[in-house]
Amino acid sequence: MLLLLPQALVDGILIGGVFITIAIGFSLAFGVMHIIDLAVGEWIMLGAFLGFYLTQWTNIEPLLFLPVVFAAFGIIGYFLQPVIFRVISGIKGDPVLMGLVFTFGLALIFKGTGLTIFGFYSHSIPSVFSAGSISIEIGNFYLTIPIMRFVGLAYAIIITIMLQYLLKKSNFGLAVRALAQNREASGLMGINPKKTSSYVYAIYVGISAMTGVLIGSIFSLSAQMGARYTALSFFVVVLAGMGYLAGVPWAAFLLGLIQSFFLIYFNPGYTLIAVFSILYVVLLISPKGLFGRGW
Amino acid sequence: MKRNIFFVFVVALLLVLPQFAGARDFFKVGVITSLSGPLATGGNVTKYGYDMWANTVNSHGGIEIQGKKYKVQLFYSDAQSEPSQAASGAERLATQEKVDFVLGPYSSGATLGAAPVLEKYKIPMITGSAESPLIWKQKFYYTFGTIPPVNFTGAGAIKTLAQLKPAPKKAVILGSNDAFSKSTAETFKEASEKAGIKVLKFSIVPQGQDLTPFMSAVKVLRPDFIGFGGHDDELINLVKALHQIDYTPKALLMHYGVTEPAFIEALGKDAEYVFGGSVWTGSLHTKSDILWKDAKSYFEDARKAFGIDVDYTHAGSTAAGIAFQAALQKINAAPPLKMEAREALIKALEDLDITTFYGRVNFATEGQFYHANVGLDPLTIQIQNGKVTLVGPENYAEAKPWYPMKPWKER
Amino acid sequence: MGTYIKGSTIKLFALIFVALLLLPLIFRNPFSLRIATEALMWIGLAISWDVIGGYTGRVNFGHGAFFGIGAYITAILMMNWGWAFLPTLPLAGFGAGLVAFIIGFPTLRLMGAYFAIAMWSLALAFQQLALLMNITGGPDGMRLPTFLNPEFFFYLMLVMVMGTFVLLWYLMECASFGFKVRSIREDESGAMALGLNPTRIKIQAFVLSAVPAGLIGGIYAYWVSYIDPPSVFGDIITDQAIVMTILGGMGTLIGPAIGAVILFAFKTVFWAYLSDYQVLYLIILGVVIALTVFFLPNGVWGTINSYLDHRKSKKNDSLIS
Repeated sequence: MLLLLPQALVDGILIGGVFITIAIGFSLAFGVMHIIDLAVGEWIMLGAFLGFYLTQWTNIEPLLFLPVVFAAFGIIGYFLQPVIFRVISGIKGDPVLMGLVFTFGLALIFKGTGLTIFGFYSHSIPSVFSAGSISIEIGNFYLTIPIMRFVGLAYAIIITIMLQYLLKKSNFGLAVRALAQNREASGLMGINPKKTSSYVYAIYVGISAMTGVLIGSIFSLSAQMGARYTALSFFVVVLAGMGYLAGVPWAAFLLGLIQSFFLIYFNPGYTLIAVFSILYVVLLISPKGLFGRGW
Repeated sequence: MKRNIFFVFVVALLLVLPQFAGARDFFKVGVITSLSGPLATGGNVTKYGYDMWANTVNSHGGIEIQGKKYKVQLFYSDAQSEPSQAASGAERLATQEKVDFVLGPYSSGATLGAAPVLEKYKIPMITGSAESPLIWKQKFYYTFGTIPPVNFTGAGAIKTLAQLKPAPKKAVILGSNDAFSKSTAETFKEASEKAGIKVLKFSIVPQGQDLTPFMSAVKVLRPDFIGFGGHDDELINLVKALHQIDYTPKALLMHYGVTEPAFIEALGKDAEYVFGGSVWTGSLHTKSDILWKDAKSYFEDARKAFGIDVDYTHAGSTAAGIAFQAALQKINAAPPLKMEAREALIKALEDLDITTFYGRVNFATEGQFYHANVGLDPLTIQIQNGKVTLVGPENYAEAKPWYPMKPWKER
Repeated sequence: MGTYIKGSTIKLFALIFVALLLLPLIFRNPFSLRIATEALMWIGLAISWDVIGGYTGRVNFGHGAFFGIGAYITAILMMNWGWAFLPTLPLAGFGAGLVAFIIGFPTLRLMGAYFAIAMWSLALAFQQLALLMNITGGPDGMRLPTFLNPEFFFYLMLVMVMGTFVLLWYLMECASFGFKVRSIREDESGAMALGLNPTRIKIQAFVLSAVPAGLIGGIYAYWVSYIDPPSVFGDIITDQAIVMTILGGMGTLIGPAIGAVILFAFKTVFWAYLSDYQVLYLIILGVVIALTVFFLPNGVWGTINSYLDHRKSKKNDSLIS
């Protein structure tokens, strides 16, 4: 059984890679605009279907469409943001909760629209990468690295680094961080909070939709898939510490490793109960996320 | 404050929109199925099957009873994948619409919600697609089903596999943790052990779980076949996971969902060689004089109507309507059905033994399959050249099973 | 908020209560009674959620867990130990309250989204537990003996929910407990400086929120007569309670009740009479929710309330001048 240890580690990290892609954009939206967007999974669903149809029409590699999907949904997000901005910046009620219920409404609209247009059946996006794997076999020792998953991990890491760079090194990032810390003060310093928020929201929606294409290539896609990914992105983002972008990969890897170890070493039926219990206990021990760095 | 009271009354009034009932010259047929929620895929397939029956009956002028033809009209109720909503829907159909009989839900949960309510109002129900053994153990007097439960059919596919050459000796069997998939997996396990196949690993996994790590571990065990009980997208994900880790077992067996058109469409070449269990296919040799003359003509009609290659869930749902139709003709009951007519209908259903395009419909009247259709033989199918092909048992087979599975890379 | 003249409030409650008592006499139809029973159930779930979510300011994404615990306690006691239904109810409420008490101490230290997600993951863990245990029947769920008496369930639910409403009204709007809870919501350290024990008060509110949910779960199990993990531990219970509360107006008791009735009536009418348009229903419901939040950020009741306040202060102004 010890021979399977490297495999369990690799699988866990690769699952984690998928989780990063689901959660990273959400962490940005959460951290900067304090939007608890219950529609995150639906953005993933819509992006997946755009990728699916583009691939069907053109018959070329779906991952080549990532920029197209990003741009298309980025534009949608940019124009949707002012509406959400109005909801969450109201003086009355609890703005964060209002955003939550508003996006819950949006999620229902997207899901209903998705079911109407795409129907109930599951689909799959064929990618050239889903074919192969890197296999090592020495006697009783096996190690398999699925290339598709590896591409997913690479994509996750690239997106994370790009976002980190954008936030930490660019002028835009400075504005975003200022906005995240203090909306009023940032306005006084010549930052246009509305515009900046719109860009951030556009990036978040674009990334989530792009992730959908990847998810559709690794797993399957259907109009009902959204809720599962909404839950997952919540868990990862909160475990990482809200708005703490650098924590997302570690939280994702932790959740991925719990899954792979339970599936390989323990009773696979207990995988999810383990994930949820550990998530709960970690939050009790470290109330601001894994690193105590969330807001 | 006054506005408040007014408001409460308006809402209360909205809830009791008056309904009318009386003498009529058509059958009122309730349809309870999950049109939304997590089980909507199967729920809608079921609905299509019922619609197909109703439309065809009506295009023939209706159900002929003592020389007069009565049309049928369907009244839908969305169970929303929730037992409580199925119960609520049953109550509405029984008391407000006053339906004569009911075509039932897709899942065991919704069926178990609706059945007690229909017992109370003594309204017969035939479910065209619930496959879980759970329902029949409850012995509802007014509930029937046209698809045999999975513990009746599941063993068939294993028997076919056991006869392959070289015979598989070791298996890994897993099931998703829902009522239907779990009993599928349990049936697979039991049948394998009976056939002398060693079950190396038996696991019930959480629903929707990413199984890649599990399969990496299975790869090391090198079983001859993998048996999996799950639902549509879980099956697609499993095949994709096996492909991604580049592991091809000698055979891959799944139950529900392999015959769904989405499975072949989504997986393309990867769907080839996958075995499945079924009770009906479009190429099955059946002969009937009710509505369709054989399976093929039904299959083609359905393709014309819905643009998809239908499977046994669809056919079983249509057969549920046919069973009612045949039983009604036998007792010469014209609408609306009074209590005595409905009681007679139950008796007629219990005695029913007809051959339809779907095959034989004959409900068990005792034992663990009480009121489920046991007139059918379990079939083993395999995806060959993009088509659902019958490969077992021998007297039904249209082609030899392909075995062992061709590695993913060489396709 | 909400505390006008106590006499008239009591009169109004009495009026509504009597009207509801007479409801079965007016609507002899079992379906209407079933709908009314379910509407009451959602009122109960929404107001009990609001105790912790609205009054205490801890958004609970796992409220459904208490409902599920209550449902399973009733089912297990009846099916495995042969109990009669009514004696199981106090235990269903007690069980939910006990769980709230135990997890309350560590969990209520968390704030905002951390509390929400901790409770959500805990609720999902409970669902998994119910799927894995033998005593709960695993994924097969449990079937209870059927007792199909619509009046019984209507009156039971009515007494339970009205009782909860009146008790919560007294505690939250009349007694000092409500002020304590609200002061914790506004400023926890400030409340501590005033000599309050926030931890104790929060746990009390948490238990107060959990017990009605457990009781309602127990009734639900016997009423629907079939429960399984997705139907009683599913996210939908919590989601609907939250949406109803926020639509109606948080931090009040009438608000969630209004929200529950609106959402449930909408859903029922649409689903019962327009089943052919089931997918359209999702879209329209989404639009309704989004528009309400957009235009009435305080919820329906909150908006009515501030309108009334506004008019009242205007009247006062004109009296002075």
